[in-house]
Amino acid sequence: MSEIIKVENLVEVYADGTKAIDGISFSVKQGEFFGFLGPNGAGKSTTIKVLTTLLRKTSGSVTIAGYDIDKDAQNIRKVIGVQSQETVIDGDLTGRENLILQGNLQRMRGEVLEKRVDELLKIVELSDVANRKAAFYSGGMKKRLDLASTLVHKPKLIFLDEPTTGLDPQSRNSVWKYLEELNRNEGITIFLTTQNMEEADKLCRNLSIIDHGRIVVNGSPVELKQQIGGDSIALSFVNGLTGDEKEKSKQIIQNVKGISKVLDTEDGLVVYAKNASSAVPEIVRVFDQNGVSLTSVNLSSPSLDDVFLQHTGRRIRPAELKKSSSSQANLVSKRWR
Amino acid sequence: MAYDFSYDVRALFARAMKKFLRTPISIVFSLLQPIIFLVLLTQVFNKFGSLPGFPAGGYLQFAVAGILFFNLLNSTMQAGISMVDDINSGYLSKILVTPVNRTAILLGRLSSDAVRMLIQSGIIIVIAYLLGATFVTGVFGILLLFLTVVFFGVAWSGIYLAVGLATKSSEATTTIGVVMLFPLLFISTALVPFKFLPRWAQTVSNYNPVSYGVNVVRALTSSGFNWGTILPAYTVIALVAIVTWGATLYQFRKVIH
Repeated sequence: MSEIIKVENLVEVYADGTKAIDGISFSVKQGEFFGFLGPNGAGKSTTIKVLTTLLRKTSGSVTIAGYDIDKDAQNIRKVIGVQSQETVIDGDLTGRENLILQGNLQRMRGEVLEKRVDELLKIVELSDVANRKAAFYSGGMKKRLDLASTLVHKPKLIFLDEPTTGLDPQSRNSVWKYLEELNRNEGITIFLTTQNMEEADKLCRNLSIIDHGRIVVNGSPVELKQQIGGDSIALSFVNGLTGDEKEKSKQIIQNVKGISKVLDTEDGLVVYAKNASSAVPEIVRVFDQNGVSLTSVNLSSPSLDDVFLQHTGRRIRPAELKKSSSSQANLVSKRWR
Repeated sequence: MAYDFSYDVRALFARAMKKFLRTPISIVFSLLQPIIFLVLLTQVFNKFGSLPGFPAGGYLQFAVAGILFFNLLNSTMQAGISMVDDINSGYLSKILVTPVNRTAILLGRLSSDAVRMLIQSGIIIVIAYLLGATFVTGVFGILLLFLTVVFFGVAWSGIYLAVGLATKSSEATTTIGVVMLFPLLFISTALVPFKFLPRWAQTVSNYNPVSYGVNVVRALTSSGFNWGTILPAYTVIALVAIVTWGATLYQFRKVIH
């Protein structure tokens, strides 16, 4: 299989001096479902803007479908579809008109275009409301229309910038379903960014984890999780821990058998262990003996968030974790598994 | 290539026209102010028309040209705001990731704005006619009147497109438009004859492009084809267009890359 995206040493520095992308290299094979996973501000959207010809790169080289982005942007635009993070449709036009216009701009016309639009409306389940102003659509319908509008000209490659952010679970599931079908049945290469581990885990066959404009690690979700070496046990403590207490707790826990790694997080400690379920009673016991009170112990199989944590020392979405109180910690870890 | 280009312009023109025509309320609102002015001023200033030295035909006959330009100053602002909306909603980016011709984006905007100004001007002229205004140069004169209005409107919208593209803010664009509106309108020949303006205002009026446009339209409605007024005015409007569209093209290039 040939490489449809090839990026080498890409750097993007904004006019104000901010280094949004700091020398990334990666490639995506034709037909692949590829993901960029990372927190807000990691450089995901900027990368998409450069790859889709919207933003001129500072340095490095980018080749899309065999075309050099500096010399042949026009040819690249004919073979890609792009969905930005915000849902962008024209609310004054009907659903159908939105798609027709997008086709027109790709120089499609006549019956070929009409047929393609009908087909897409059916796929995204908007045939019934096709002649209604898009302004009256629900959030999920708008998102689906937006997705359809990137597909009118049958692109080889689509870029999706956080395609499910802000969607309710039902809409999110239907978007996931379309994306999987597109990739599987029509062979469209998909480049997706997300901050949602579940999404990356479920959809992407390969991904890069990105942070502060750099690629932290590459691999398939399965590979990456295997590298963790064991399940994760998240521990939280009454009133949190001071620096000294944290050090002490780390000392305590090092002695438990089977522990492969201990990490600090803002919410306590995360421990990785081969046979985690049998390590839990022991962990609880040693803390008890040392007079440190635990508020919760949370066992889960490793997630992509653990991968991120191991490589950066942070959670992908620390803010969201903090919000959830310790009593809800179970729910949180389930959602992230 | 040329075929693609005209196709792109047509597609974007059609989009902008649909957006305009589907919100009839916005047509009404955009015309409300000029029409209120038309009715109000011609009532309140009615007796001005009989002052010695006032051009023959009464105040209404005199004010039609001014009201048309009052509408234009408002309407051109809308061109800039539409561009800002497309930038901020992400629609411009959505268009820019397609192979669409970049110049066609501006031309699609421009042509639809021109049609919008024609529709609005047409409505004002019909109302003025119903109120009793006359058009001495007949059909050809009215055609030339429309041409003048569109020419001025296109030149003037370059100001707001450039401001909109540079600031990406509809507040900034509106503020500049509103601040400029009344000085431009009142320190010109739009609503008061040149002779009635104080000395300093006469000087300003001589440099105010609005006066040049108004004088052409007023000649066409009230006196005839005064080429001595029309041709210099076209030169002034052309100069305005060169400056404002130069700025617009410069800002547009910055936005698209």
